[in-house]
Amino acid sequence: MKKTFDLSSLMQSKVTWAVIAELLILLVCFAIRPDFFSISYQPSTGMLYGSLIDIVNRSAEITIIAMGMTLVIALGGTDLSVGALVAVAGAIALKFLRWDVLQYHPPGDYTVCSYALVLGVPLVVCALMGLFNGFLVAKGGIQPIIATLILMVCGRGVAQILTDGKQFTTGYTPFRVIGQGSFLYLPMPIIITLVVVLAVALFTRRTAFGAFVESVGVNPSASRLSGIKAGTVILIVFALTGLLSGIAGLIYSSRIMSNDSNNAGLNFEMDAILAVVIGGTNMAGGRFSLAGTVVGSLIIRTIVTFVYYFGIVAEATMAFKALIIAVVIVLQSEPVREYFAKRARARARLNGGAAA
Amino acid sequence: MSELLEMRGITMQFPGVKALDGVDFTLRAGEIHSLLGENGAGKSTLIKCLTGVNRMDAGTIRLDGEEIRPASPQQAIALGISTVFQEVNLCPNLTVAENIFVGRQPMKHGQIDWKTINRRAAELMARFHLDIDVTRPLSYYSTAIQQMTSIARAVDIQAKVLILDEPTSSLDENEVQLLFNVMRELREQGLGIIFITHFLDQIYAVSDRMTILRNGHLVGTWGVSELSKVELVTKMVGKDMDVIFNLKRADVPGDAPYMLKAEHIGDTEHIRDISVSLKKGELVGFAGLLGSGRTETAEMLFGASRATKGSITLDGEDVTLRQPFDAIRAQIAFCPEDRKRDGIIGDLSIRENIMLAVQSRQGFMHPMSRQEQTELANQYIRVLGIATPDCEKKAGELSGGNQQKVILARWMATQPKVLILDEPTRGIDIGAKAEIQRLMLEMCGGGVSVIFISSELDEIIRCSNRVVVMRDREKVAEVDGEGCTQQDILKIIAEGAA
Repeated sequence: MKKTFDLSSLMQSKVTWAVIAELLILLVCFAIRPDFFSISYQPSTGMLYGSLIDIVNRSAEITIIAMGMTLVIALGGTDLSVGALVAVAGAIALKFLRWDVLQYHPPGDYTVCSYALVLGVPLVVCALMGLFNGFLVAKGGIQPIIATLILMVCGRGVAQILTDGKQFTTGYTPFRVIGQGSFLYLPMPIIITLVVVLAVALFTRRTAFGAFVESVGVNPSASRLSGIKAGTVILIVFALTGLLSGIAGLIYSSRIMSNDSNNAGLNFEMDAILAVVIGGTNMAGGRFSLAGTVVGSLIIRTIVTFVYYFGIVAEATMAFKALIIAVVIVLQSEPVREYFAKRARARARLNGGAAA
Repeated sequence: MSELLEMRGITMQFPGVKALDGVDFTLRAGEIHSLLGENGAGKSTLIKCLTGVNRMDAGTIRLDGEEIRPASPQQAIALGISTVFQEVNLCPNLTVAENIFVGRQPMKHGQIDWKTINRRAAELMARFHLDIDVTRPLSYYSTAIQQMTSIARAVDIQAKVLILDEPTSSLDENEVQLLFNVMRELREQGLGIIFITHFLDQIYAVSDRMTILRNGHLVGTWGVSELSKVELVTKMVGKDMDVIFNLKRADVPGDAPYMLKAEHIGDTEHIRDISVSLKKGELVGFAGLLGSGRTETAEMLFGASRATKGSITLDGEDVTLRQPFDAIRAQIAFCPEDRKRDGIIGDLSIRENIMLAVQSRQGFMHPMSRQEQTELANQYIRVLGIATPDCEKKAGELSGGNQQKVILARWMATQPKVLILDEPTRGIDIGAKAEIQRLMLEMCGGGVSVIFISSELDEIIRCSNRVVVMRDREKVAEVDGEGCTQQDILKIIAEGAA
């Protein structure tokens, strides 16, 4: 069979529209400030600098979390606890890295335990918390939005307790690398994001896990009767989302070299859900697109960068973000996509007629 | 008798197909008129033109002599054309009374007059000889009563024409009789009823005339006494139906080994105590009314619900079935009764639907390659004659018969030793039905043991080596398929074991 470029189906894809939206926003940036796209090399840090790099770098946390959120939403659920888990991960890491409470130590490289534990414990705890979410959903039959509300509310409390309500800071160099270091001229968060996206993509698409997730998301009853262990699928997805929130939490706290139980990961759940939805995954569950989610996350970050870059008053940031997102969502809506797909079909017919 | 409804030269063009080509249809007041044809013959399209869902391309519709052109279902209802669809189109969480009056609640002092609503709803249901509490949520009641509720709603909207689209497909024998009584009563009151069904017996039982469509063309209109069943089927299908009436039962040698033996299985709620055995290559039919425990037994044999007692032996080995996965690993397969809810995964492609059970047995860490999946799907699309351009089409977009074949393919792909089919022929047209029966018997020939559950006794008797008769969640009898009649089985169902 000959593969043809099918404009009509391309115009119907939500991912296409997300990409178009992202390009449009970037184009506006470019029109206002032609140097927006410029990228320079800074020999002192060994890193590339520029607005584009910054957008990708700053979107790392949301992109990583949204990978898990995509699967949760494909199952027909949502995970509200991801932001709180970001705070938990930071709190645990900083508990191990604290130097300020031990007065005789000068600020600098110091941990109370091995670096492996500094990274490992937060990740394991977050994964377990995700597993707890999954357990409530899979075994308890609780709606995901309610089940994850529990950790959303009490997660920050746990973080507060772990750190006695204090904000620790650290100077431990290896920890700085995660959020501020570089690799292959790129900021480390970008590298971590690439690895995570690739790993999740491989895990879902190179195994049958993605198909199982979609199947359970579309029709849980039929999936069970086809032999899919829906409970196991749900547990894995929520645990994975917890783990990814933990990774995002480490990046976040490494950027500020501190923990912040109140503000770390604040509203991340909303941004992550938004990234998934903009990326074309339906909130009702079913088909998901990881690539779409990445684009969705980039769009959100591009808007924020746009606001900073062009000095729009801080108070208007949220409203502006909402405006752009509203436009993107409307562009992706069924009637609009159908309209453009129809026009594309009509044009294809016209061209075909002329050729014949 | 006057013509209540007159449709002339109805033509409807979809991209690539002429769904209706100059079809005529007339309906008299006070008649039950069956509309027949295979899936895709144009029945639904004709009804959709009449009810304003589709805009016809040519033709005229006259109601009471006046030309009408309903542009929306609401308009059609306002004109007096009410439809009751196959799937109950009501809100399960509202009460029966609310469902009947939703959208047109009688008001009193600016507030909804609940008293009147409930009283009138109770009166309406009483007209159908149903004495039920109309203030209970609809989901509390059986499908039959839900069906009656939608008819009550349709009739109460001052209908002149009532369209019943497959109303009986989820009803059992008694409920069907109840519905027929209601239909006859409505006929006496001068309503014109269009009745669409796949059950030939029911057409003869209740209708006055019938109109047959085939491939978007009108074949003709006859009085029920003018056409025999065989003639009717031949006209519907357009070819001789020897195939259907000449199906041969599976040939099971007397010394064939037992494939499945379930002894005294049961739980506290659904099934008391049931023993069933199946020989290799044997087809055993489960007969009984809805709720007699047929489905519950099947679910237990598949691990979809857990047996708390008894033992199941498969091919000589004891098996414990805690979940469907265990059954699939033991090579038991199960096509559930409710295709939409438990069978097809509508948003996924045909390919994914077919590979699903095989893949879940292997576990997700051992994925089939895309090429393997496509080959598997294409193989079954070919073998089962699934009508689709390719295997990437969404399974939910297929017709009922083809969806059923996709589910069958899903299970055939697992190479089962035991295949349990719960109402596999429900709601699909006679051609597809015959094909499913043929496939079932072919699989028996290949050594698969089949449990066949159906509400239609004639097809159970036609296909089964043995028939297990169930009643009140118990097995009451087991009879040979050869030489037994519908009357025998009905008698057992009615009176218990002989």
